[in-house]
Amino acid sequence: MSENILRAEQIHAGYSDKEILHGVDITIPQNKISVILGSNGSGKSTMLKTFCRLLCPAEGQVTLDGKNISSINSKTLAKTIGLLPQNSIAPEGIKVADLVARGRFPYRKFMTPLSKHDYEAISEAMCFMGINDLADASIDELSGGQRQRVFIALSLAQQTDILFLDEPTTFLDIAYQVEILDLLKELNQKRGTTIVMVLHDINLSSRYADYIFAMKKGKLICQGTPAEIITSENIKEIYGLDSIVIEDPISCSPFIIPDSRCY
Amino acid sequence: MSNKKIYLTIITGTVILIIASMLSITYGAKSVGFADVIDAVLGRNIENYNVNVVQARIPRTVFGILAGAALSVSGVLMQTITRNPIADPSILGVNTGASLFIVIGISVFNIQSKLSYISLAFLGAMLTAILVYKLASMGYGGATPIKLALSGAAISTALSSLVSVFVMPDSSVMTSFRFWQIGSVGGASNEDILLILPVVIISLIVSVFISSDLNTLLLSEETATALGLNVNRTRLIAAVCGVLLCSSITALAGPISFIGLMIPHLIRLLVGSEQKKLILISALYGGSILVISDVLGRLLGRPGELESGIMTALIGAPCFIAIIRRAKVANI
Repeated sequence: MSENILRAEQIHAGYSDKEILHGVDITIPQNKISVILGSNGSGKSTMLKTFCRLLCPAEGQVTLDGKNISSINSKTLAKTIGLLPQNSIAPEGIKVADLVARGRFPYRKFMTPLSKHDYEAISEAMCFMGINDLADASIDELSGGQRQRVFIALSLAQQTDILFLDEPTTFLDIAYQVEILDLLKELNQKRGTTIVMVLHDINLSSRYADYIFAMKKGKLICQGTPAEIITSENIKEIYGLDSIVIEDPISCSPFIIPDSRCY
Repeated sequence: MSNKKIYLTIITGTVILIIASMLSITYGAKSVGFADVIDAVLGRNIENYNVNVVQARIPRTVFGILAGAALSVSGVLMQTITRNPIADPSILGVNTGASLFIVIGISVFNIQSKLSYISLAFLGAMLTAILVYKLASMGYGGATPIKLALSGAAISTALSSLVSVFVMPDSSVMTSFRFWQIGSVGGASNEDILLILPVVIISLIVSVFISSDLNTLLLSEETATALGLNVNRTRLIAAVCGVLLCSSITALAGPISFIGLMIPHLIRLLVGSEQKKLILISALYGGSILVISDVLGRLLGRPGELESGIMTALIGAPCFIAIIRRAKVANI
């Protein structure tokens, strides 16, 4: 396995005339789970898009092993960096196995059928996500949690060392949220896949992340382990919210309880 | 989708196409016997009147197959790149653009030859597509499907009022334009077909070549980019193919409605949205359906004929309503 050090250097980025990121430096910790936290509009999704080359920075660069990612062939890059976007779209009526197979796109040769290796990667990804039984099901029949597992399997079939996920739990109920995050944790532990997520839930971030980046108004304001970052002072700084921090009895990670004017 | 069902669909389509072609050269304002058909195909007995009738129907049959295939594939491409299930070749303003240039050709330059019709239609369709694309690219997010559809509709409306400006004041322009506008596969000669054949064939081949990219494009722009697809380039190639396919047919036959909209839908219900299958099978069925429409038009319109553009609309509209009522066209 190559080094795969992914680094954002002095990123200024945004949409047409509006700059959202004002000079962000982030080095993604290898083989770890990192979570980018921040309030709405803090630029965390923009940061994720910049890392995945969905957005070209106005200034600064994202480098992979020292090489600017915009100079890397897009299919080559797609073998190293994967992304699960916030809203995944599937063609109507497509079968689960066919959808997961789309993850093999960067490996496919022109006008050739799927190779043996492709099939292995697809079945391994489906196995890992526990969706083997659904192989012949139509995507339209699935529940939200199952759908999300299928889309993660698509990204796994892509066999990248780094996987970005943009709010992978947003539309799911609490049981599915935990299920998805557990699977991602296992993925990280078993395969050493570097995972970078944008999450809204501070407590789940605190539980599952090895490392947290906190953003505010387009800048990185602090980074570190959950124990270092999830403190009353920092939460006040990031979200402008008073809170107390206790220990999560399950994972022993910091757990925040928001304060309220009504109580 | 099981392979068995795919093969069945292909075989059925081929049989329908063969039957449709036979009907097309046999039936019409004047029906001829089977022996005459054989004679005509083999080039025997050419002084026989019936044989000549048959030979006259061969180019229109060939053109019908070609037109149906081209329009259907154009529909598939437009629906895929705009991610809009009710997109068809007119959604990007292509037909209107072609119409405008042709009507300017008729009224200002008094064009007569098929070549000038074709060139003007190409030019008009291409320029319109570029204009639509540029308009859609402005502002946030680039040329998103919804913005493409909106700017296509807006420019289409604007251009059609320009068409009226040229057509209304002059009755002779009106007459020439009207014949072209209704949409007929009957007017195509062998020479006309040879003019557009290379364009249609190349566009079809390119469409099949990029089918794997189109499959990826259907996921979402973000996923496609993350999978290493050059999204804009793929959209551009698909759009150019779609425009070429549609405008070459439109130039010769006028705007033929509903084929490009209806066939891809129908085929998607049968074989799913895998693009290579969808493109090839849509081409197969599109050709058959247009030829059948043409035959029906000839039979129902006796002693004259109903233009195929009218027939496709007559057949297409109820079919389309049935499809929408039946189901699942909410998205591709």
